[in-house]
Amino acid sequence: MPCFRAMILIALWTSLTVSEVAAAEPLDFVRDIRPIFENHCYACHSGDERASGLRLDVKSAALKGGDNHGPDIIPGKPDESPLVEFITSDDPQHRMPPDDAMPEDEIAMLVRWVAEGAAWPEGVDLVTLKDTRDHWSFKPLRFAGGSATIDAFVTEKHHELNLEMSPPAVRSQWLRRVTMDLTGLPPSPQQVVAFNEDTRVDAYDRVVDRLLSSPRYGERWAQHWLDLVRYADTHGFEVNTERPNAWPYRDYVIRSFNNDTPYDQFIQEQLLGDRLGADAATGFLVTASVLLPGQIGKDEPSLRLARQDALDEVVNNISLSFLGLSVGCARCHDHKFDPISANDYYAMQAIVAGVQYAERELRTPESMAAKQRLERQRNRIAEIDDELSRFAPLAFSGAERPMVNARQNVDRWNPVTTQRIRFSILQTNNLEPCVDELEVFSVAGTNVALAAHAAVVTTSGDTTVADRHERRFINDGQYGNARSWMSSEVGRGWVTIEFAQPETIDRVVWGRDRNGQYTDRLATEYRIEVANDSGNWSVVADSTDRQTYDSAAVEPAEFTTQGLDATAAEAANQLVQEKRGLLASNQQLGQPQQVFAGTFRNPDSIHLLLRGDPEKPGEAVAPAIPSAFGDASLSVDASEWERRKLLADWLVRPDHPLTARVMVNRIWQGHFGTGLVASPSDFGNNGMPPSHPELLDWLAKEFIRSGWSIKQMHRKIVLSKTYRQSSAVRPEFAAIDADVRYLWRYPSRRLEAESIRDSILAVSGNLNLQMEGRGFDLFNQRGGLSGFKPVETFQADGSRRMIYAHKVRREPESVFGAFDCPDAGQSTAVRLESTTPIQALNLFNSRFVIDQSSALARRVGRECGDDHVAQVTQAFRYALQRTPSAAELAEVVPLVRQHGLVPLCRALFNTNEFLFVP
Amino acid sequence: MNDPSVPPSGASGLPQHDRRSFLGNTSMTLGAIALAKLLEGDGLLASPAEDSPSLRSIDPARPYAARPPHFPAKAKNVVVIFCAGAVSQLETWDYKPELSRWDGKPLPGGPAVTFQGPAGNLARPQYPFRQRGQTGKWVSDLIPHLAQWTDDIAFVHSLTSKSNTHGPAENFLSTGFVLDGFPSLGSWVTYALGSENQELPAYVAIPDPRGVPQNGSNNWGAGFLPAAFQGTPLSSKKPIRHLAAPDVSAQSDRAARELLQRLNSRHFEANPHEGKWAARIASYELAARMQLSVPEISDLSTESEHTLKMFGADQTHNPDKAAFAQNCILARRLIERGVRCVQLFNGAYASGGKLNWDGHHALKEQYDVHAEIMDQPVAALIGDLKQRGLLEDTLVVWCTEFGRMPFFQKGAKGRDHNPDGFTCWLTGAGVKPGVSHGTTDELGQRAVEQIHPLYHFNATILHLLGLDFKRLSFQHNGIDRRLTNVEGKVIRQVLA
Repeated sequence: MPCFRAMILIALWTSLTVSEVAAAEPLDFVRDIRPIFENHCYACHSGDERASGLRLDVKSAALKGGDNHGPDIIPGKPDESPLVEFITSDDPQHRMPPDDAMPEDEIAMLVRWVAEGAAWPEGVDLVTLKDTRDHWSFKPLRFAGGSATIDAFVTEKHHELNLEMSPPAVRSQWLRRVTMDLTGLPPSPQQVVAFNEDTRVDAYDRVVDRLLSSPRYGERWAQHWLDLVRYADTHGFEVNTERPNAWPYRDYVIRSFNNDTPYDQFIQEQLLGDRLGADAATGFLVTASVLLPGQIGKDEPSLRLARQDALDEVVNNISLSFLGLSVGCARCHDHKFDPISANDYYAMQAIVAGVQYAERELRTPESMAAKQRLERQRNRIAEIDDELSRFAPLAFSGAERPMVNARQNVDRWNPVTTQRIRFSILQTNNLEPCVDELEVFSVAGTNVALAAHAAVVTTSGDTTVADRHERRFINDGQYGNARSWMSSEVGRGWVTIEFAQPETIDRVVWGRDRNGQYTDRLATEYRIEVANDSGNWSVVADSTDRQTYDSAAVEPAEFTTQGLDATAAEAANQLVQEKRGLLASNQQLGQPQQVFAGTFRNPDSIHLLLRGDPEKPGEAVAPAIPSAFGDASLSVDASEWERRKLLADWLVRPDHPLTARVMVNRIWQGHFGTGLVASPSDFGNNGMPPSHPELLDWLAKEFIRSGWSIKQMHRKIVLSKTYRQSSAVRPEFAAIDADVRYLWRYPSRRLEAESIRDSILAVSGNLNLQMEGRGFDLFNQRGGLSGFKPVETFQADGSRRMIYAHKVRREPESVFGAFDCPDAGQSTAVRLESTTPIQALNLFNSRFVIDQSSALARRVGRECGDDHVAQVTQAFRYALQRTPSAAELAEVVPLVRQHGLVPLCRALFNTNEFLFVP
Repeated sequence: MNDPSVPPSGASGLPQHDRRSFLGNTSMTLGAIALAKLLEGDGLLASPAEDSPSLRSIDPARPYAARPPHFPAKAKNVVVIFCAGAVSQLETWDYKPELSRWDGKPLPGGPAVTFQGPAGNLARPQYPFRQRGQTGKWVSDLIPHLAQWTDDIAFVHSLTSKSNTHGPAENFLSTGFVLDGFPSLGSWVTYALGSENQELPAYVAIPDPRGVPQNGSNNWGAGFLPAAFQGTPLSSKKPIRHLAAPDVSAQSDRAARELLQRLNSRHFEANPHEGKWAARIASYELAARMQLSVPEISDLSTESEHTLKMFGADQTHNPDKAAFAQNCILARRLIERGVRCVQLFNGAYASGGKLNWDGHHALKEQYDVHAEIMDQPVAALIGDLKQRGLLEDTLVVWCTEFGRMPFFQKGAKGRDHNPDGFTCWLTGAGVKPGVSHGTTDELGQRAVEQIHPLYHFNATILHLLGLDFKRLSFQHNGIDRRLTNVEGKVIRQVLA
């Protein structure tokens, strides 16, 4: 409803029209209205300034209105037009323009203009709305005919810009460059010698083949991908606790690069791997920070917001990584620059609306088979236990029953029907009693006490130690101290189990620690009772007819044939034998590997949210690819799987304008530091145009033609003349192209954090090449009050490559983190290269570098004896892949003679020559 | 800016490393030349007029060089006092007499469940309020020392947050985004302005002696800005790491420096136009200076007894308070030497309110402890900055991630999280003194007048430092990112 002031104005105008209609000159948009917009509105509502999504400089956009209120101008109806309401509002929070500077007569003029039909002639606007779909990267790859080469494209640009190719780098420099690039490690002295002496025409090709087939290659290139998807081994946010089984995804990525998994398959596996035999690949979907259930507020809005944030991260990961587009803006409003509407955004959310962040079992063909076998064997063991417990003597039969033991006890009685059973502990051998599992068997042999069978536990009181002693562990089906219940009282306590329905039961099996590690806290006197219909308890078994507990007695066997006749003993012994075999086998089959990966359920219903606010849902949105790229879509009730498949199938279409371009550009960037498109995750209207558009498209075509082979791309690039150039700066060309976008030399760059650490270890001789599995710790202490405390001295495990470090989100590694190591908060498509004194302090003074300097000194000392010249020469060969010059020897040797090798090794690790790709 | 009572760096006879040793004794070696270039604040940087909307031009070789603001401003430096855990506005700055009348009654139409669970009855402010200073501002007895400064402070009582959860909300306060991985306020400020002191980190984060705040290092992270603009953690208890090599003799250390210098010089001669190499050589020179400056700045032995007493740093019977007071003195010393941004944390990690302001269950009991630690030292910091004239060009910000509910939690004596109306304040350079801006409803539950999401507060801080929050941006993955996302508005009512 328009406010009072507006009514007056509208009324004024109406009365005006009645009385002075002839006098009022017709309004002209250009003469009368646009200047008002220009003076008072354009600052926030024109061009790229579109506060609340509203722009008033283009007719179609102005009539469409802003994010929260469109249309804004309703011709002929000023009292229904939000624009009028804004300029006439009495509420200063609401009032536009906010500086309150629009004079009354101009307000009146605007109101009159709307009332008269808001005439806005076509063709008078000074700007036109750009069709955001009309953009190079959204169009098909252009055909580049004939047999082109990288060098031909680069040289052509050189001619245009008066640049030229630099002479080739010396062989050893090229070798260091290509080895660092492809493996993240320096070549060994032997490799340098071998290459320098290799006079065959294909010597360069051979090096590249050797490097691409080295497992070190995948460890290097996976890091680029992990940067992009902001992989980490913690959950982020407030508690930043460990995400202990994220690493199968990291290993999947390393393996994929090493196997040269075709890129289209790589995409499909990350979206659909749960059904393509690459289950760990779906870790891609859930690499982001996420709030754990306990951290989210208990109120509904908190839950909805947390879910939206979690889904938003999945959508962003997909669009940034594969499409090179940011669609996240469209969560709140249509994308300002690219053809992604809010509707498109929520249609993408609908695609992943069944994805959950959770840990689950990793499914591989082997794990599935093992799991089935494990399941079969477990069932058989349960059967055996059941059969064995039938051999247990009846309680109150008059015969003395065996002494209680910590591992397992059976109490058997004649069948009784009840819904509740109580196990009361009257005395223990010491401390508060602890029970790892209380099983109650029906005559049919089912453990009806299991929580999984909806049995409910109450107790006299609990001593709770999270993930060790909890009430719920008494009937969780898992044995051992770490899954046990502990009473709150010393020497006593009771547990009641109420079944889902009345059951006919004949025995209880219980223990302190079925795994046999603990014998303390054992219930030595106890009573088992069942409740009748009226709630009265009657005892079915107790410890009075058991042999008196004696802590000195030898722990009895799990099962004893004591008191059985020969036939029964024979049968029982056979069962015991069989069980032993099965237990051993189960131990081997092991616990199934867990993984933090995409976990799938029925999709949430996704709605268009007004300004991204989960409390303001609009219409339901069906899964679809962004509308500017086609009309592939599904219905709102499509299955979870179909949704992801829709997306994956679209992404890997050979005619997709973005997929191949974006990836070849990333590969190029990995070799030259900057992509042909310098904004690798923004191929949209706001991104940088390609420096060599034809080259980019040609590479993309070649990429697809090669079957999406990433290794083929590397080979093409690193064997080019362009890549082989010297990196020396030529001032005359630097004046034309300081950023080396046109590659008149090879652009030297600093090593990344991981490469520095890995290279130091390789040179010192300490690098541990163990691949895969849980990462090594960079911090001694996880979270909590004093934050993360860095490890100072690393043992063998900590000498693995840094990609195998347990990556703590947002917590920079204490020495190398300062070298622009991504924090895994948001996606890192290109690493920055900053230079700071903190880096110098870390690299010069840290315990890590001092330790490795000593290690290199020892290595060189071992190999060269006391000959200082030989020592220095060898240290240079390891660190810098060359021998020192005579002048260098003259400078360095006297210092080494005086102070030993350690200062030299420490200096070498800090030199520019060591830290830069030449 | 320099306090004459403090000796210039390097002159205090700190031995350990001879400053000249890094370069040997030659005065015009390569390193010195490169360093001179690094330190020179020439006009090559983009002037405000040329500043593109998307990227402030930073010379990668000189990330800390002082840079001009977008427009002239009184505040050159900023101290942010960050109270982790969410300080209750109702026990401190937001006087709600009506709440006392409703004490013990349910809130009609109030929420049944809030962040941590079922809501209980309304609860009166747990401390008496009284009027203070010329303005007659009502402030509680919880914070008597800070209450003395109300005539100098501009309060914003009507702030709102986007999250009611500590982690995302601390992110929102510090970075403008609830998600992880966005640059913090201090990173934005040093990215924009560099620093006046090249021998100390441009941006220092001082964690509470009791531990790190709830969202840890993301509160001082650089996100996707260059690592150079990341906050460096430093406190009276914990020095900067790697200031000196462990178990290395002075001779060995000198030899390593000399070798490094020689190797780098020869290498550089072969390609003398490679700017990146020159920058790295210079960074070792800066590091050598930092090795002297940092221990000196953390050494409070030069502070007078009077100062220690004023801050409460002498109260050894309350070690947390004494250590926090030392952090406050450290903050003043950093500002004194031209460090651009100091973020001073009060309150640590989630701990059921024991170690920070998260008063869910025993609010009064715990606030007695926390306020004792925070009140006097922070008040002394303001007083000390003022008496030294530093407040003329220093902005002081006091903030917390959200507020608390007017009712207790069911079965508890504490208040749950409330992102819908809470108080933060500003004082110092450029701030209008003695202002109380915006209001919450009569019970202090929701902001009702002049509502300001934290975007506005952050935009105002940037404005006070001479930065236009719309122009201070950095392109990341195709988006011109800003501290205030696509929102923001300067709260003009608090500007002098």
